[in-house]
Amino acid sequence: MSEAAVASPGAQPRNAVDFERLYRSSRDDVYAYAAGLLRDRAAAEDVTAAAFERAYRKRTRFDAERGSARAWLFGIARNAALDELRRRGRQVELSTDPADATSAPGATESRSDLRLLIEGALGKLEARERELVALKFFAGLSNGEIARVVGISPSNVGTRLNRTMDKLREACDDAV
Amino acid sequence: MTRSKEPGDLAAALAEARPTPHEDFVKELDQRVAAGFPRRSRTSGTPLSNLAGRLRGLSPQRLAFATGAGVVATIAVATVIVVSQAPSPQHPVLGGQAPLPNWRGVQFEAPSATEGSAQPSRPPSYGAALPSRSAVPESSASGAAATSGRAHRDIERSAEIELLADPADVADDSAAVFDAVHDAHGIVLHSTTRSGKRAGASFELLVPSARLGDALAAFSAIDEVRARHEATEDITASTASASEKLRDSRARIDGLLAQLSTAESDTEMNAIEAELGRERRHAASLRAQLDKLEQRTDFSRVSVKIETGEPSTDSGGGWGISDAFGDAGHILGIAAGVTLVGLAVIVPIALLCLLAWLAHRTWVRAQRRRALRGA
Repeated sequence: MSEAAVASPGAQPRNAVDFERLYRSSRDDVYAYAAGLLRDRAAAEDVTAAAFERAYRKRTRFDAERGSARAWLFGIARNAALDELRRRGRQVELSTDPADATSAPGATESRSDLRLLIEGALGKLEARERELVALKFFAGLSNGEIARVVGISPSNVGTRLNRTMDKLREACDDAV
Repeated sequence: MTRSKEPGDLAAALAEARPTPHEDFVKELDQRVAAGFPRRSRTSGTPLSNLAGRLRGLSPQRLAFATGAGVVATIAVATVIVVSQAPSPQHPVLGGQAPLPNWRGVQFEAPSATEGSAQPSRPPSYGAALPSRSAVPESSASGAAATSGRAHRDIERSAEIELLADPADVADDSAAVFDAVHDAHGIVLHSTTRSGKRAGASFELLVPSARLGDALAAFSAIDEVRARHEATEDITASTASASEKLRDSRARIDGLLAQLSTAESDTEMNAIEAELGRERRHAASLRAQLDKLEQRTDFSRVSVKIETGEPSTDSGGGWGISDAFGDAGHILGIAAGVTLVGLAVIVPIALLCLLAWLAHRTWVRAQRRRALRGA
């Protein structure tokens, strides 16, 4: 995150989320999740911005008793992403961003190959499976948090993740 | 890349492939966050959507507080409007709406000239203001009377007047009532006078209808007028009917007399005389009935009551705590009425809105699930 000052939300109710901290810790994760699900960087940026704006406006309605702030934020981000999917009505291929290669100084050719391989394998997954992968490995959510975001039980999350990883592994093997 | 069969390898590969946001996007988003997500254009959406967006941003507590404040303000404004348009609370002074007994006929308020002040200097002449038996115009006749073809109306009138007096003045006021009745050539049918703490008096009077106005003016001058009612009843139809029956009966008597004079046998004479007797009794009954009706139009029944109690607010008495309670109760009653009416309007609309919102929410969730499956 840049060093730009983040607005203090002002006086917050006891339950209100610390938006500044949540934004700093979750911005890249939300983007990674959205990009992983939508496979469209422009749409992922829109969804990320929309998610944080919605979260900012709803920040006083956060209830800590119903889950962590990150789970709450990713619930909002998921709704924004699904709304984007609804609008598009179709899947857009993940566009390659030349800036990504330069954004990681020192990236090797093998890392670019790996990235393309993973992206290709992810493209063979269903959106629901891709969402689990994005939440787990791109956003770094725990199974419990994923369960709350997606609306299934934590054990079900684990089962589905295992299956999805198997499929992803097979897709990678096929690509190689 | 080598085959990524190991879970750790795949997880590491996924971490490597994790998408990262563009720097320009990050800077822009940071700025927007720093600015508190300013709305890009207040005119970009419809006013309704802008309002909905603002409401969505409110916490439930603030939303409930704002809604409650709005409802209370609406009730207050509506109550003020209703109170300002409704007549003032009816103190038992002059409003003329105290539930006094009504003898008969249609009751109506006394002329407004007497309602505005507690102690009118002298009310207008009631003899002129109210239609007398011979002066009522045809246009005011009832439908039944109009069909009778009579050119005048037979009006029975009654009046009630309630005076407010100090307990010490009840006796003098009662004497003044008797004097006024005497001056009007009226009759005291019944009178009661009480003394002590609950001092007061009541009179049942018959006053010639032609002098009713003067008599009421005289009664009003005795003491403070607390309430006054007058009622009229058009008995033209009854009078006309009785007159016609009497006329017919007399004609039949004349006819029987003519038959009697030409009767040839005793049997025929006896039969006619018996019939004549019955008809004469019938005629006498009709005459008595007609006399009663005429008496009801010639004399007006007047009830005069002298009560003692707290002076009215309109007569110069101070506005006291009981008045405050009365006014408060009146205003609270109106506020309750306004609330009830408002609820009757708002609750169905709110229920419809709630159902629409729930349906929309369910539809959106279903669409999101479908979008995820279809993607």
